[in-house]
Amino acid sequence: MIVAEQKPLEEIQRMIAPYEKVLILGCGTCMTVCGAGGEREVSFLHSALRLAQARTGSNTHQFSEYTVKRQCDPEFMALIADRAREVDAILSLGCGIGVQVAAEHFPDTPVLPGVNTSFMGTITELGVWDERCAACGDCRLAETAGICPITRCTKGILNGPCAGTKNGKCEANKDIDCAWILIYERLERLGQLEKMRRYYPPRNFRTIPRPRRLVNLVKADMEEGNG
Amino acid sequence: MPASNFSVSRKASFDDSLMPPCQIACPLHMEIGEYVDLIAQGRVMEALQVIRSGNPFPAICAYVCTHPCEDACRRGQVDHPIAIRALKRFAIEFGGDRMIQEEARTTYSEKVAVVGSGPAGLAAAYYLRKLGYPVTIFEAHSALGGMLRVGIPQYRLPREVLDIEVQRLTQMGVEIRTNTRVVSLDLLFELGYKAVFITVGAHQGLRLGIEGEESPGVVDGATFLREVNLGFQPSVGTSVAAVGGGNVAIDAARTALRLGAKEVKILYRRTRAEMPADPAEIEQALEEGVEICFLVAPIKITRENKRLRVTCIRFELGEPDASGRPRPVPIQGSEFDMEFDTLITAIGQAPRIPEDFHLRIGKGSTIQVDPVTLLTNRPGVFAGGDAVTGPATVTQALAAGRQAAQRIDEYLRHKYPLPQKEKPPIAKELLPKTIEVIRKAHRLEPERLAPQERVQGFRPIELIYDWQSAVDEARRCLRCGMGAEILFQDRCATCLNCLRVCPYHVPYLDENGTIQIPADQCQACGICVAECPAQAIVLRKPRDRRYIDEELHHVFSTAKQSGFRPLIVGFACQYGLFGTGTLSGLWKEAQASISIVPVLCVATVEPEHILRAFEMGAEGVFVAGCGEQCAREDTRFWVKQRVEKVRKALGQMGLEPERVQAFNVRVKEEDPVQRLHQFTEQISQLYLAAVLAQEVKT
Repeated sequence: MIVAEQKPLEEIQRMIAPYEKVLILGCGTCMTVCGAGGEREVSFLHSALRLAQARTGSNTHQFSEYTVKRQCDPEFMALIADRAREVDAILSLGCGIGVQVAAEHFPDTPVLPGVNTSFMGTITELGVWDERCAACGDCRLAETAGICPITRCTKGILNGPCAGTKNGKCEANKDIDCAWILIYERLERLGQLEKMRRYYPPRNFRTIPRPRRLVNLVKADMEEGNG
Repeated sequence: MPASNFSVSRKASFDDSLMPPCQIACPLHMEIGEYVDLIAQGRVMEALQVIRSGNPFPAICAYVCTHPCEDACRRGQVDHPIAIRALKRFAIEFGGDRMIQEEARTTYSEKVAVVGSGPAGLAAAYYLRKLGYPVTIFEAHSALGGMLRVGIPQYRLPREVLDIEVQRLTQMGVEIRTNTRVVSLDLLFELGYKAVFITVGAHQGLRLGIEGEESPGVVDGATFLREVNLGFQPSVGTSVAAVGGGNVAIDAARTALRLGAKEVKILYRRTRAEMPADPAEIEQALEEGVEICFLVAPIKITRENKRLRVTCIRFELGEPDASGRPRPVPIQGSEFDMEFDTLITAIGQAPRIPEDFHLRIGKGSTIQVDPVTLLTNRPGVFAGGDAVTGPATVTQALAAGRQAAQRIDEYLRHKYPLPQKEKPPIAKELLPKTIEVIRKAHRLEPERLAPQERVQGFRPIELIYDWQSAVDEARRCLRCGMGAEILFQDRCATCLNCLRVCPYHVPYLDENGTIQIPADQCQACGICVAECPAQAIVLRKPRDRRYIDEELHHVFSTAKQSGFRPLIVGFACQYGLFGTGTLSGLWKEAQASISIVPVLCVATVEPEHILRAFEMGAEGVFVAGCGEQCAREDTRFWVKQRVEKVRKALGQMGLEPERVQAFNVRVKEEDPVQRLHQFTEQISQLYLAAVLAQEVKT
């Protein structure tokens, strides 16, 4: 799941300053789950912005709020077309994808990001989120016992651990576990320690062309199909 | 109101609560959860209103109800059931029941006769009169009440309580004919009555059927209690035996003690486990010195020298009989003799229906009726109460009376009798894992007179709760059937927050990956409601949802009128607030205008609510929990989370974070009044500083 955190109020206030009517747009999927931009956060931000405005005595902004099920699909954007037409800007509490889909869908309306999209991760305990995947496009988890060294090793090395590991912790951040020690322990548990003894050649990150695209359909050849 | 909240307000009044076991068990289906909750909040007069809306004579039930609700109460699975009857008594006494006047207007011309004035007859008269019918009660005895008057001893039901209820019926315009035994139903119809309700009770004591039962000194329980209750003082001698294991045997034995008997025994042919009498009554009888001889019954009575020689036989328990209780089997050769001055037989009672009524009589001399319409074999003649069911409880009789009134109305108005729509019931059992995490709290009982004081006379033996005990007892209620539900499934992102925050581990993920909140386990604390990021969860009872926006609007419109600044808004636990009266001291010498928004639990206060209070003009907000009284351990944790979130937001908009405070009432080590006074002072200073700064600017 995509994890994000809401931007500081000051930053949001600065962003929306030029616009009178602002729609705060929540997202009902990842942003709801990670507590950055669901129905509840939208209404909290709405209240906070109104209150902040009331304290300064200015009445520049008019806010409205709405939460769609998912901002990363244009069909959901179509549902708020009327609302979008009435505002000067959309403050999207969707992840970076949601913001861009909204921007593409509403070419004449500025779309502003209300959250900082952080990473792809999981909840490790109530209110604590941890990164798990870097979306590198070349998954090696089969060799590393289901623990990703690209994401979870600070250095992202493929042949670990490095000399900086002490008592299972990382030299760069002494509070986090050394990914390679975790990999070692799990491989030992699975009886696959031979995977540690192999050498993994460096990966060529230049082979990842950005922006990436996935095509999952075969382009239909009309003539062949009609045959 | 934000656009996306539209659906919330649309569904605001939708009550999706389930019927709790106590309400199912009550023959009147009284809204027990509702009034217990109101008592817990200290809203006793409202509790009384709820009680009166579901029961025509609640004061009577408050004394004598056998409280099947308490037997069904799910708190009993945790520690002890809620003392529902005693709480009702508290609401009756503290809510001012005596001052309530009933009114009724005659809207129909069809006269209805009620034959018999026991609880069923009184209830039928009450409801028929409310419906607008002219009603006449015919009573053979000199005063109304039936078994309430002639059967139940005065120490269990003071007669003034009964008199007040009867008085109300007169106020409502019910015509009362005492000392009038109805001998013919035809005569009633000739007198112009269009419908008759027969509720003559079951006053005929069953006979033991043994030799010597006709001897002087042997009396049946119903007759004995009737004589005592009608003011005769029968002489019982010094040693008395009551035969039987029901409430009448216990009543007779305890009454005999109060008439001066020194030695009172109850002879019962089974054991204590099988006794049909109310366990509390048995306990009280034992306290007063009644001795119960189990597995014993008389087989012969001989009268010698003005005393009774009672030959008894011992029993052992055999296979279960038709009633499901083990059958007592006499032990051959175990006969023995005992001597008494009086023997009271109380092995059961049956109705005695005059043959001239021409009613079809069924098993146990009871009147046969259609179970739905309560109609007998004669058109326009209805029957109910003990005369139909055999000896039963007061509440069952009241329910029968209420049903009869409805059926008679349908009969007279030519309407098809329809069953009443009822809420679906909640499952009875709590899971062991739920029970484990529910905080245990002992049942509080009202005080009783000491046994030696009780037997001096016929004073009522149970006293009333003091305010604090009643509130504390009522707070033990588990609020069955009022729990949380996912009202907006389409919004649910299955984020599992509810599953993670529930202190009772109630929500779970079903095999389809959908989150479920089983209503029968939910304790209605509301934490998941406040933590759901999609705002998809609500509490089933609209009143618990507490539309805080509306409350705030109300608070601010009132505050605007007073014009007193600075304004402080407090979100306070509805139980810790009025119930305990702790916060009532807060307004004294307060230097600010303090308005309270009561909430179900402070853990249900959402950060948005606090922000909205500021937005509407509050200078400070406090959240006051009920402290040690809280049913949960983690309330403080959640309050802290929300308060910190708001403080952070306030800081970002240049407001002092200390404008939001959380504290508890009813915690020994911290005085909430003191804390609030400090807080008020702090807010006043901030307010003054802001006003000054504003003036300097201009």
